[in-house]
Amino acid sequence: MVKLQINGKTVEAREGEMLLAVIQRMGIDVPTQCHHEAIEPTGNCRLCMVEITKKNWDGWKKSVTSCLYPVEEGLIVETHNDKLFEIRKTILDLQLARSPHSDYVTKMAAEYGLEKSSYPAEPQGDDCIMCYACTRICDVLGKSAIAPTMRGHEKIIAGPFGEAPPDCIGCLSCAHICPTDHIKWNDKGNTRKIWDKKFKLIKCKKCGKKTITREFADYLIEKRELPSEYFDTCDVCKRKETAEKMGELVIKAREATI
Amino acid sequence: MKYRFQVIPELCTGCRTCELACAFKYAKDGIPGTSRIYPLAYAKDQYVPVVCFQCDDAACVKACMFDALRRNDETGAVELDKERCVKCEACVAACPFGCALTDTGQNEIVKCDLCQGDPVCARFCPEAALKYVEIED
Repeated sequence: MVKLQINGKTVEAREGEMLLAVIQRMGIDVPTQCHHEAIEPTGNCRLCMVEITKKNWDGWKKSVTSCLYPVEEGLIVETHNDKLFEIRKTILDLQLARSPHSDYVTKMAAEYGLEKSSYPAEPQGDDCIMCYACTRICDVLGKSAIAPTMRGHEKIIAGPFGEAPPDCIGCLSCAHICPTDHIKWNDKGNTRKIWDKKFKLIKCKKCGKKTITREFADYLIEKRELPSEYFDTCDVCKRKETAEKMGELVIKAREATI
Repeated sequence: MKYRFQVIPELCTGCRTCELACAFKYAKDGIPGTSRIYPLAYAKDQYVPVVCFQCDDAACVKACMFDALRRNDETGAVELDKERCVKCEACVAACPFGCALTDTGQNEIVKCDLCQGDPVCARFCPEAALKYVEIED
């Protein structure tokens, strides 16, 4: 165990744990955008910046992204002060210039007293804040279908060569994890469309309800060695089947006692 | 000490108290039908409670690519870590018993976690068709 001080309180943390985890466990509200428990931290949004120092640092302080900084013995951490407020405000100011129409960014910036960006707003600004949560979750899935392409202000998240990603299986993890809801998708009839790619949705054998995509199911069947028949019916019909099977057992048990 | 959740279907009368108890504890506004336990009819007026079996070799755990479903060795339940869940619905599609659910009202995946070791349905079941019992290791 490691002992450190956060906002004046002494806390214990496990070795190798990141600062942000300890801060959140204490119930301190440090803003984050790109952080998600299912993905590796990369410090892209930089909103979780905290100030650290140690007794023997002669008053020197350092600003670090708490999601990436492992706990250290004797660390003295400050999560909210004027300097950190300014850092977070500047980040949101820049994001507001990039994504002026994003509800998510606008709301967050408003908490820092920003109604409009002090930088010239991007006329074609989209809602992507380049947090890479989508590409990282796709990496965890083992597909890495999407990635950042191009450089500088032209940078976008897309499939290889800006085309429909061949490795995408339409699981929607990227769309669900996206903090700004920038990744658009739709289900129409039996087809799901995401990243300009079309997928066939599995239709429940019994009731016709649509579940996940055929490609996603095949991936799970192969990767996790699951029987393919598990994916043939929807959850409602599977519950009914379960009830019927249990019913058979009840009838058998009753017959046995008579 | 280890515990196991027991369903004794032949004792079920279909009173749906378990469903109500679960809905009051978890579902939005306590609406039955969005609970984690389903008393379903297999014949006229013959009911069985369908609820997560907390399988030893659980398909939902296998299907989750993000490690959001894990076994709690204390309670014996497979628990969903909402912080890790990205709502891809792989578990919902994979569970052969249909017991991992999508709560569309609250936009989240839900599954029975045995109420962290004190299943409210078992407490309210008047016929003791649902039991949470100690077992030998």
